[in-house]
Parts: sequence; structure tokens; C-alpha cells
Amino acid sequence: MNLAEVPPGAHVVLSSVREDARTSPGSGVRLRELGLRPGAGMTVALRTPFGGRVVLVGRRRIALDAATVRRLEIAS
Amino acid sequence: MSCPHCDVGPGRGTEGHDGAAHPPARRRRRGTGPGVPLDATDLPAARILLVGTPNSGKSTLFNRLTGARQTTRNAPGTTVELARGTWRPGPGRSAEERGSQETAVALAASSTLAIVDLPGAYSLTPVSPDEAVTAAEIARSTAGTGGAAGTAGTRRTDDAVCLLVANAAELHSALFLLGQVGALTDRVVVALTMTDVATVDGLVVDPDRLADRLGVPVVEVDPRTGHGTDDLAEAVRTVAANPRAVVGLPAPADDRPAGDLDRIDALLGWADDVVEAIDAHHSPTRSRADRIDRWLLNPWVGLPVFVLTLWALFQLATWAAAPIMGAAEALVTGPVAGVVSWALAGLGLGGGWFEGLVVDGVVAGVGVVVAFAPLMAMMFLAIGLLEDSGYVARVAVLADRLMRSVGLDGRVIMPLIVGFGCNLPALAATKTLPHARQRLLTGLLVPYASCPARLTVYVLLAGTFFPRHTGLVVLAMYVLSVLLVLGGAFALRGTLFRDLDREPLALVLPAYHVPRLGPLLATTGRRVLAFLRGAGTIIVAVLVAVWLLLAIPVTAGHTFGEVPVHDSAYGRLTDQVAPVFAPAGYGDWRTTSALVTGFVAKEVAVGALAQAYAVDEPTGSSPGELGEQLRTTLDETSGGHASAAALAFMVFVLAYTPCLATVAEQKRLFGWRWTLGAVAAQLTVAWVLSVATFQLLRLVW
Repeated sequence: MNLAEVPPGAHVVLSSVREDARTSPGSGVRLRELGLRPGAGMTVALRTPFGGRVVLVGRRRIALDAATVRRLEIAS
Repeated sequence: MSCPHCDVGPGRGTEGHDGAAHPPARRRRRGTGPGVPLDATDLPAARILLVGTPNSGKSTLFNRLTGARQTTRNAPGTTVELARGTWRPGPGRSAEERGSQETAVALAASSTLAIVDLPGAYSLTPVSPDEAVTAAEIARSTAGTGGAAGTAGTRRTDDAVCLLVANAAELHSALFLLGQVGALTDRVVVALTMTDVATVDGLVVDPDRLADRLGVPVVEVDPRTGHGTDDLAEAVRTVAANPRAVVGLPAPADDRPAGDLDRIDALLGWADDVVEAIDAHHSPTRSRADRIDRWLLNPWVGLPVFVLTLWALFQLATWAAAPIMGAAEALVTGPVAGVVSWALAGLGLGGGWFEGLVVDGVVAGVGVVVAFAPLMAMMFLAIGLLEDSGYVARVAVLADRLMRSVGLDGRVIMPLIVGFGCNLPALAATKTLPHARQRLLTGLLVPYASCPARLTVYVLLAGTFFPRHTGLVVLAMYVLSVLLVLGGAFALRGTLFRDLDREPLALVLPAYHVPRLGPLLATTGRRVLAFLRGAGTIIVAVLVAVWLLLAIPVTAGHTFGEVPVHDSAYGRLTDQVAPVFAPAGYGDWRTTSALVTGFVAKEVAVGALAQAYAVDEPTGSSPGELGEQLRTTLDETSGGHASAAALAFMVFVLAYTPCLATVAEQKRLFGWRWTLGAVAAQLTVAWVLSVATFQLLRLVW
């Protein structure tokens, strides 16, 4: 299941982060360094305008744009 | 040798000082002290690199520790600013309690500490030039650890102490960075900040437990009040003398690159373990930021608040600043000029061209620069308030989709909106962008935002040549302005800024704070002074040069300093330039004169026109006699297509170059090469557009 389909308030576990050729090669590394890696538990805190999300990973509140949200697959 | 009691410096007591003339230790060192530039080979014993994530209070701490004893220079080969300063702390509490020999020796050895404020970074694998500077400085300054042979010739072989500023409310991020730094050096101290913010969200971080777990000193500090900084100094000196490695780090595999995924996972796991071990793990209650963001990131409330914020910034750059700027300039050109004239008269130099040069050239120039100071101060303050409160990160989120369409960070919208109020403070607003290349790109686009000074020209020309459609014509100019900003962004991103990768938005949202005015005002003051020194000198120099050009007679019968405009060197110059505009339909010296004067300050372009025609400036909404004169001239130069020429002229005014003050600030921020290159490019684009407008429209009008 994709993160975009998860409603706010839900706790999920990230299963994989898809590559996106349109973004820089370093972007995947930065996402990982922020804690967005397979097996990470996170909460969807809120929806932001234009399709983005704010997710809670550990104590970090990370705002993601719509394209990044679609890259995140979660374990169903 | 100095005694430990002779710590001379501002605010320090003279406890133990017996009145004898001990030369303080610092004077023995060559040239350290306020106002003297720091020299890499001339540093006091301990050198500190201040490292931390954005929003950790790092820069507030730096300003607290160094105060006025700081200088800012670009890291070599970059436009990333590095602030360096000296810190003169007192002995820590425990030093006084213990009175240990070791600490007394350490104190005697270095009563001042050199400190460098590195750009905020989430990791030492950089995603921006700013983070790259941080990573490079740390790598360079820790080359001595681990027995590696001394590298980098002229530098000292002592390692710097890495002072990692850890935000207690975002401990996990700080620990990840600490893990990377700890792998490079044994000289690490942790300064724990924002414990009050963490407590609001129900999180208590015990610095002593953290220190036990990490094996390095952890000192709780409040950068806003300075509480804890003396203990911090003691910890730094201790570590400088006796390095200790961070305990329990996953073993670095030297053959794997820093960005290796397994290494990242191992560090993240280690950070998790530390957080668990000190009982600082995630608490289930919703944080204050969550509660506020439910409104501020909500489309129905958040977007209107966002638009209102942009509108407020715009108003600040226009009507809020105007009366203050007017008063500042009036102060200089009124009373100050009067005093200068009186002084010159007293010296017997009054009345002639020299007085003209000093009063109408130099003093008037200084008046212009001084008038900009309140404008810049208000913008620095406003942007600083937005940053410190945490709201700017939300701007980045809300404007992301819009700005991403031209490949820019959401925060770019702020300087662009401010630019429509005035280009100069818009450059001040670029400071909030964390990426050096984005700052440069935005700084190059800002001049295409049409400011109110240009509006005065549009109103005059549209009122004269399109009296029934004035509003529509002015609107068209603003639409063109927006198109030029967007077009410029596309063009630059496709050519000179290809290196700007498309970064996904993955932004750590900081907690909300109530900003403290004291530190913010101090920082604003420093920034305004830097602007005055850097841009101010250029502005005054150019204004004096213009005065000289206006004063030099080129025809007989005039004395130096009292020349009608057309008979001066300036007039001759405009005569030479005027034919350039013939293909655009307005090749006349008077319109050219307005353009040249408009470079100096856009709002005097209309005044320059009036002066050239020797008529009064139009008051009220009717263009008056000036409009009539313009019509006559343009009819002649355009061969009967005056309306087309008028539009072409407006297009040129919109696009040609920002005003002198903006160019001077661009030079200070980005250097001569980019600034002059941008001016040349803008002049070319403006000329091409202007000629195209005339040649196409004259077929119709």
C-alpha cells in the first residue's frame, strides 16, 4: 500500500522507498538519514495542501511533498 | 605568564586582581582582540567548530558567546558565509569548587577561544553547498585524529574541538550528526539546548545521563540567556587537553563511503539505543507544534494566513518603510548638510564647486544610504522573527508546489513578493534560504519584480499615451514582470544552474517558539552594518561620480559645478548613448537621461525627465505639460508611432537593471562577476524586448 492512501492519525511501518529518477541521486540518502527507511515506524500527522503529508518518525516531524509521499510504500 | 585572575575582558570582574600591572595573556599573542582579523596561524590554544542541525539554537549560541567580537567571511570559493569570532568565558562553577590543578593550568593556557559557526546540517553527506562547507571544514580540522600524518601544510596540527549543539526536542537528529562527527574526532562536546521546549512536549532529557551514555561532556545551555556557557567553556578546555571518543559508535568501515546505506542504518540504530537508554523516547502526547500545524498547514486557515504574511512583508517594504526612510534622508540632507555647509564656510571653502561636491555629492549620497538602513533593518527583523518563530518552514511547505513548478524552494516566494515592494530588501529576505545556489538564483531574479518606483514611469506614460486604458496598460506591465521572473527562472535553471538538483521536499519542521527580541535585534544590527559598509561605499562612490559628470562642462561659457544638464559631461554621455534606442523608437537624449538617472534610483526617473524638459513634475493624476512634451518628442523619434514607442520605453524600464542600491547589495552578496554579468544580461534582454515591442506594435499603432 502507498503512503498516499493512509489517513491522518494512522500508525504504519515503512516497507520500501522507491527510486525517483527525476530527483537527485543524493535524495534517497537524505530521506534515509532522516529515518525514512524500511522497517521504520511512523505516524501520518496531517495532510498538507496540494497532496503532501507531515509524518512523525521518532520525534521528527517531517513535511513531505506529494511526489515523495507516493514513493513510500508501507507494509499492509 | 599571566595569572588565572587576570581575565581582562568586557563584563569580567577583577577578582583577585591586586592592582599590579600584569599584562593579560591575550596581549602577548600577536594582534588578537576586537577589530583585528583572525589569522588561521595565530589562534589561541583551543579552536572550536560549532556544529548542529538547523533550528538547534547554534547561531544564537555563537552570537551569545562572541557578541561583537565576530567577523563574517565567505568560505573560500563559495558564497557561503562563515562567521568567526572569539569567546572569552570565565571559569566554570566546578572549576571554582574543585580548584584542581589540571583545570587551573587549562585556564591559564587559553583565556580566549576561537570559534567558527558552521552552517546548519542534518548530516555530513551534504545536499547543499552550505552543508558541503560544514562537512569540509570538519574533515579538514579533524585530519590530525587517528594518527594520520599532519596534512594541510600551513595549518596547525591540533585538532579543533567540535562543539555539537543538540536540540533536546530533536535529540535523534542531533545524535545522528554526533555519530558522524564522533567517527572523525575524539574532541567533541555536546551543548544541549531547548530543554524548555522539550519539557513543554513532556520530554525530559537529563544531560548527566546522556554524558554517561555517550562518554563525552554534555552541558545544558540556554543560548538566549547565556546560562551554562561558562561550564561549556570548561568542558571544551578539558576535552582539548584530554580527548575522549564517543562511546559505542558502530565501527566505521573505512572502505565504505559515508553515504552507504548500511552505515546510515547502523547510526540510526545507535541513536535509537541512546535515546532509549536515557528514557527520552517518543512520548505519545501530541506536541504543541502538531496542534498549531493543524491550523497553519490546513488549506482553509493556513493558506489565508500564509497570504496575509506575504502581504504584511510587502507592506513592510512599501508604506511602512516610506515615512522612516523619508525622515532618515531628510535628516541627512537637511540638518547634516546644513552643518557641513556651515563648517565648509568656516574653513573658507564654501560657496563654490567644492561645497557642491561635498554637500550635493557625498552628503546626499550618504543620505540615500542612510535612508536604506531602516528599510533593511525592518526586513531583516521581520524575516528573523519568522525564522525564529518556526513559521518559515511552514512557508516552505505551503509554497512548495507553486515554486516547484519553476524548480525552486518554496521559501523563494518571500523574497519575490518583497521584491514587488522594493528590490533591495528582497535581497535581505534571501538570507532565509538555506541553499547558497538558491540564494544566488533568487538574487538574480529579484530585479525582474517590478517595484513601485518603476510604477511612476508607467503611470506617466500610460496616462499620456493611453488615457482611457491606463489601468490596463499598467496591469500588463505587472503581468510581464511575473512572466520575466518565471522565464528567468526557467532560463537560469536550464543553463547556469543545472547543478541545482531537484530535491524532494523532506523538511524537518521545527517546534514553534516565541522569538526573543534581544538577540534578534543584535543580529539585525550586525547585518545592517554589514550592508552599510559593503553596499554603502559603492553607492556613495557612484553618486559622487554622477555628480562629477553633471558638473563637468563640455561647452564654453559654463563653470565647473554650474552647468545645465545637457551641456555637462553627463549630457554628452546621454547624447552618445541615445542612438542605441533609435530602433526602439525613443532615441532622444532626454529619455536616455531618464534611463541613466533611473539606474541610480528608479524613483527619480520621472524627475530627471521633468528636469530635462525644464518643466514641473506632474502632480495629481494628469501627466500635464511633461506628458505633452514627451508626446512631441516620441512622435518625432518614432516616426509617428508614439504609442508604440511609449510601450517600448516602459518595457525597457521594467527589465533593464535594478537600481544602484540593489546592484551594490548584489555585489556584496554574490561578487562582481555575477553582478556585472547579470547587469549586462538584463540590459541585453531589455533592449531586445524593447526593440521587439516597438517594431511589432508600430505595425498596429
